[in-house]
Amino acid sequence: MNPLDGGTLLLLLGWGTLVAMDLVSVPQAMYARPLVAGTVAGLICGDLMIGLQLGVLLELFALDVLPVGAARYPDHGPATVAAVAASAGAPWPERMGTAVLLAMLLAVLGGWSLQRLRHLNAQALHGRAAALAAGSEPGIRALQWGGLGRDALRGLLLTALGLAGALLLRAFPPLPLRLQAVLGAAAIGCALAAVAGGAVRSAGRGARLHWLIAGLAAGLLIALGLG
Amino acid sequence: MNTPGRSRAFVRLFAIQGDWNYERMLGIGMGWAAAPLLDDLRTGDPARHTAAVVRSAEFFNCNPNLAGLALGALARAEQDGVPGEQVSRLRTALCGPLGAIGDRLFWAGVVPALSALAIAAVALGAGAWAVGLFLVAYNALRIGTGWWSLGTGLREGLQVGGAVGRSWLPRAADRVGPVAGFAVGLAVPLAGRWLLGGLAPTEMVLAVLLTLGGVVLSRWGGTHYSAVRYALVVLVLLAAGGMVMR
Repeated sequence: MNPLDGGTLLLLLGWGTLVAMDLVSVPQAMYARPLVAGTVAGLICGDLMIGLQLGVLLELFALDVLPVGAARYPDHGPATVAAVAASAGAPWPERMGTAVLLAMLLAVLGGWSLQRLRHLNAQALHGRAAALAAGSEPGIRALQWGGLGRDALRGLLLTALGLAGALLLRAFPPLPLRLQAVLGAAAIGCALAAVAGGAVRSAGRGARLHWLIAGLAAGLLIALGLG
Repeated sequence: MNTPGRSRAFVRLFAIQGDWNYERMLGIGMGWAAAPLLDDLRTGDPARHTAAVVRSAEFFNCNPNLAGLALGALARAEQDGVPGEQVSRLRTALCGPLGAIGDRLFWAGVVPALSALAIAAVALGAGAWAVGLFLVAYNALRIGTGWWSLGTGLREGLQVGGAVGRSWLPRAADRVGPVAGFAVGLAVPLAGRWLLGGLAPTEMVLAVLLTLGGVVLSRWGGTHYSAVRYALVVLVLLAAGGMVMR
């Protein structure tokens, strides 16, 4: 496996923090999507292919999420960065199952941290209620930058925890090959279940369902044609 | 409306959810983004400016990519001297429609469509280029929409609701759903084939069974089911079982 030196870990920490902020706070440019977060993390680790593979796999989970309004959803971005760090340099699917397990735990923790952040932002709002009632622009500015700062800290801590988990996984000897393959297949099955279940739910019974079936048929034909 | 103010407000729209909270939701972000658009009032009508700043940070929620429509319309209404209660009513009235159209267009349409196409392209061998193209396409679309939204809001003011109804937005929101459905359908078998490549037939069967099981649970498992929870349970059980059997 490729060693993760201090510079690589620092870059991953910075990238994970940016990724965490992109989910909601700024700039929502979609680099928080696992597909992007994983690919860049793979580049940083010197293993683009594992970044792409884990990026695609975890993106299938992310496609099940509809991040609307006050909905509660997992934070897959920093989780993807940690998963790539955990398995970079290992042959596919070695360590993939355990990396996905780490990513799922972090995604849940990330979702919880997002709820905490929103409560903390509300508390800060109470602290500046008088300034807001008086139409204070500095008060609004302080709240805005405070919210961004708290989210940056959330992303930093979440990524640091994820990278610690990744280093721990890398320190352990790999699981038996057979078990790794089973875990890898299970992770892929769960990811496909996530995207397929979400697609069926959101398709309803209208035109979208018909197009979903048409797409599925086209994908199956291409996949079978490729052998 | 002065151009520097519009440009600064547009840039601030990218961080409109920077202080998202359960009480005012996008409210503080809206107030922060509105500041450059309300600058003219500061010298012309200071009392109005103060009242406008208070209103600008009140509760607001909609899809962030369409927030510019509300931001522009509310700033225009403040500049035009529309009574405060009417400005607040407009603010409240815009939440629902801009949230519904924006969520359908972006979160349920553009994002899954582009993401699924990128997945399919990666699975077919396009590599990281597909990921780059996904980023470029999405951001071109959302930046264009954001600039158009702010401009339309500033131009239409109180009439922004009618302008949205006559615009391309409702049609685009209707049409992108089927595209997303097709793209996701296309991506699932291709991603499955690509990810499962190299695994033995028995493991492939396990993956297919878990896929079918997850789909069934997501359909009939009620609120207790979530994809992440399902994956956690399956992976932990298999890992624990494997370790015990060693």
